[in-house]
Amino acid sequence: MRFMVIVKANKDTEAGVMPSEQMLTEMGKYNEELVKAGVMLAGEGLQASSKGARVRFSGKKRTVIDGPFSETKELVAGYWLWQVRSKDEAIEWLKRAPFTDDEEVELRQVFEMEDFGAEFTPELREQEKRLMDEIKKKN
Amino acid sequence: MKFMIIRKADLDTEAGMMPTEQLVTDMLKYNEEMIKAGVMLDGMGLQPSVKGARVKFTNGKPAVIDGPFAEAKELIAGFSLVQVKSREEAIEWVKRWPAIDGGGNVEIEIRQVYEAEDFGAEFTPEMRKHEEWLREAAEKRASAGN
Repeated sequence: MRFMVIVKANKDTEAGVMPSEQMLTEMGKYNEELVKAGVMLAGEGLQASSKGARVRFSGKKRTVIDGPFSETKELVAGYWLWQVRSKDEAIEWLKRAPFTDDEEVELRQVFEMEDFGAEFTPELREQEKRLMDEIKKKN
Repeated sequence: MKFMIIRKADLDTEAGMMPTEQLVTDMLKYNEEMIKAGVMLDGMGLQPSVKGARVKFTNGKPAVIDGPFAEAKELIAGFSLVQVKSREEAIEWVKRWPAIDGGGNVEIEIRQVYEAEDFGAEFTPEMRKHEEWLREAAEKRASAGN
């Protein structure tokens, strides 16, 4: 099963404060353990919301709102994608993350094809598989 | 430049409501256009927060809180990772998001991803090499699938 591990933003990430060399080193070590265990699939850090935007859809209307966004605790600062055998395994890995302050991290299970029902017809499943293969090839 | 396109959650996604066949069709068509344009790097949907958890660190000590979480608009229902030439291009792609999603009412957030060139000296050459190695190994794992 795959889990998205979402690191929430805080004042520092929103201010574009870089993590210390110590934190970068510890995070590097942690990421290496995740990779060696075959758990790590991907991971990215997000720049402050001042560099971002939101698009609100309402019927035919499209409204673009520029960042920054004030509700810091709602914002994402980064994420990992993990392959694990269970939610408990994901939680155990997450508890070992080198977070030292008051970080909040959310674990969310990814939808796999088998989780969908009839609305994802055999043709659509074929198409999805083809698209995912194409992405892998291009990257 | 890389951007994360975040589809915020709502009461329906949190209730585990499945997308209709039309929405799946439209979403795959949209993704296909982004892939053909060389824009789409990844994308997936997330299951409702009842299947998830949060870990809150206090002075580095972890405490686990099981889902579900009440504030749907604070949650993510799905995301894509895209490679584009500018923030404006990312916004233009997002405006083409399937119109029937969320019954025509949806909020999509666009956030720029940190790339190696965005970091300064604190991201030492050694760290950069290490990071490259980690990414390659992770990508291999991701391609290998289950």
